[in-house]
Amino acid sequence: MAVDMELEAVLRPIQYPMVPYPPKVITLANGKKMVIRQAMREDVPAILKSVHPCLFIERDYYDIVSARLYGELLAWYRYRVKSEYCLMGQVDGYLVGVVNGRLEDEKVGMSYHTLAIDRGLRIGSHLFAAKMEYHIEYLNQDAVLIVAESPIGFRRWMVEYPLEATKIPHELGGGDSYRLTREIYLKAKPRLVVGDRPVPQDLMDEAMADIKFADDNTIRERIAGLKGR
Amino acid sequence: MRDVAIIGAGMIPFGRRDEDTLMEMLAYAALKALDDAAQSDTGHVLPPIDAVYVANMGGGMLQRQTAIASSLVDRLSLMPAAAETIENGPASGASAVKNGLLAIASGYYDCVLVVGGEKMREVTGWRATDFVATMTHPQAEYPYGITLPGMAGMFTRLYMEQYGVTREHLLAISLKNQEMGTLNPYAHVEMALDRDGIFDSPHSIVNNPVTADPLHLYDLCPVSDGAAAIVLCSLELAKKLSKPPVLIAGFGQATDTQTLQEREDPTDLKAVTIAAQKAFAMANLTPADIHVAELHDAFTILEIAESEHVGFFPKGEGGKAALAGKTRLGGQIPINVSGGLKARGHPVGATGVAQLVDIVWQLRHELPANRQVQGAKNGLTVNFGGFGNNVLAFVLKRVEQ
Amino acid sequence: MKKEIAITAYKCKQCGKIHYPYHDRCLVCKGREFEKMKPEGDAHLLTYTAIFNLPWGFDQRFLIIGVAEFENHVKAMGQIKVDSVDQLKTGMKVRPSWEPIRVQYGENVYGLKFEPIE
Ligand SMILES: CC(C)(COP(=O)(O)OP(=O)(O)OC[C@H]1O[C@@H](n2cnc3c(N)ncnc32)[C@H](O)[C@@H]1OP(=O)(O)O)[C@@H](O)C(=O)NCCC(=O)NCCS
Ligand SMILES: [Zn+2]
Repeated sequence: MAVDMELEAVLRPIQYPMVPYPPKVITLANGKKMVIRQAMREDVPAILKSVHPCLFIERDYYDIVSARLYGELLAWYRYRVKSEYCLMGQVDGYLVGVVNGRLEDEKVGMSYHTLAIDRGLRIGSHLFAAKMEYHIEYLNQDAVLIVAESPIGFRRWMVEYPLEATKIPHELGGGDSYRLTREIYLKAKPRLVVGDRPVPQDLMDEAMADIKFADDNTIRERIAGLKGR
Repeated sequence: MRDVAIIGAGMIPFGRRDEDTLMEMLAYAALKALDDAAQSDTGHVLPPIDAVYVANMGGGMLQRQTAIASSLVDRLSLMPAAAETIENGPASGASAVKNGLLAIASGYYDCVLVVGGEKMREVTGWRATDFVATMTHPQAEYPYGITLPGMAGMFTRLYMEQYGVTREHLLAISLKNQEMGTLNPYAHVEMALDRDGIFDSPHSIVNNPVTADPLHLYDLCPVSDGAAAIVLCSLELAKKLSKPPVLIAGFGQATDTQTLQEREDPTDLKAVTIAAQKAFAMANLTPADIHVAELHDAFTILEIAESEHVGFFPKGEGGKAALAGKTRLGGQIPINVSGGLKARGHPVGATGVAQLVDIVWQLRHELPANRQVQGAKNGLTVNFGGFGNNVLAFVLKRVEQ
Repeated sequence: MKKEIAITAYKCKQCGKIHYPYHDRCLVCKGREFEKMKPEGDAHLLTYTAIFNLPWGFDQRFLIIGVAEFENHVKAMGQIKVDSVDQLKTGMKVRPSWEPIRVQYGENVYGLKFEPIE
């Protein structure tokens, strides 16, 4: 696609500087190691390949979450969002989950979505926690605005942290935002935020090599549990 | 009284079955059991089904559907067979089997179909938890927000203090049962757990959080959809079929007070002891004669406590026995080779029937080697309702042709 | 104002067995006549749990629930007013009170609560 760089200069939003998220590794319930690291802009087309099959899974609102995530990541890729970032989880090099968000301003973060591509391993919980860790501890923000689009999300974030309800509209256009403040984060951190740093070199090398993707059917089967039919 | 045998068994994979209605799940499992019996009936000696007993706990609450058995006979074209739905909490499955057993034993009916099924995942976790909690005492317990896992947590605390059960013991059950679940194509949870990931590593606080203290997530069974079915007839008739009949050699049922605090010793699951004793006495067998057992491990502590109460191990020894591997396949008494409720899942109305289906497969020696108890002849099931206030046990016996 | 504990226990007139909740016949002797009694004094904790997956109708993150025995031997379930089970031990003394335990149809529902006594 030809890009008119003169026009782009007008269209592209400004970006706040963002320190990188230092990767970490988490041992999952099945003993596998999940590396959580920051995605580069160049990773987006590859990530979208794994998001795509989820567009057609109605279960647990995977369709709406992945459709929106797809658009958000594409917008980031094409420089149409202000200060967006994306973190991802990888097991054996395979992509197992994606979270994203952006900076509303220097002090307030806007949480977008959490997509677990493998279920039953608390991958969503770990990735959401990493996202909050990034906003508060590394980007040094005071608060993050969050909405849940699925009942599972509501239970995991609003109830478990617990987040405080506000009347502030959320960018996603749904219900009013819930807010994670620094204080809430620090209180919840000992029970919800885990991971080891630095990531051992072999695991890091595996994660940084070409991201691996399960095929569409495997992804659909894992998420939708279509076995036996 | 006539001897009664199981001549057909069938189950559909448990899990979250969004695409199937409750009625579809019941019908699929029923057809599998009917086909299994028909396959065995090479001489065409089986009479038509006289009666259908359907075990279901939540149709009225979760699906807003009642008179489920009447609807099922219609779907299966079994009219004019007698039909009724049996609700006995999480012990509904075994209760339905018992009704079929008594009906044939009495001589009134000749051939009976028993189906158990539940669709719990149609609602959110909050509602499913509330649905299960409606078993508790409506004034003295339910309003407080107590749940079945909560009852199990209070029980576990006492059992730990009184009998020295430790988290290591409970862990042995989750690890064993989820490992077995990976071999069972019908299991809801097909993921083996790792000790580091759920216990040793500091990351385990997120992977395996406290759910009903002192119980953690992986001490609990999941919330499942699923169905299972069996066909019963007299042993005399069963002997004319090609597959080895599985005799219901013993049966026992007992109840206890609804609230834990009114039991003289809340760690004493009297109903389990009595139900098992009755089943053993009727079968003229002892716990030592059992080769394979399916116990009601809705919570890991229950597998330990039941293994003691039915007489496999003395009180206080069940946890240690599990840790030592005595209840694994190949051990002294293999328990929950299917993965149990922990891994197969717990669609409440289906469980009691599913336990029998798994034992039938064991006693017919039909399972792949990695799940088959070699040469198994006698099996035991325990289906535990409420928090131990309504318990049923069956002793099954392989009959050589 | 502190509310009275609105629980009624039943003492069998024939054998003295104390029941809560109500039974139509005595759990020991099958007697049908009971003397009503109120739980009295403080209580001691028999067992407890913290529940993190709550049923519909509860918005909080967790609930701590236990069973305690009053000085006059009535046993009953209640919610426990602590932040963590780390503050509890079986056998410890707890003070009962009658307070809102949940909200149903916009109205407070009252029930037993226990609070550890130092
Ligand atoms: C423990 C519990 C609260 C977990 O619920 P949850 O966190 O909402 O679980 P989710 O719906 O997010 O589950 C996600 C995945 O985790 C896994 N999972 C959930 N609960 C599990 C459990 N107890 N054990 C193992 N895996 C489990 C499943 O693979 C599930 O995938 P699925 O949706 O395909 O089934 C729930 O399983 C429960 O309430 N269990 C007790 C049921 C009970 O009391 N039954 C009656 C006894 S008499
Ligand atoms: Zn009496």
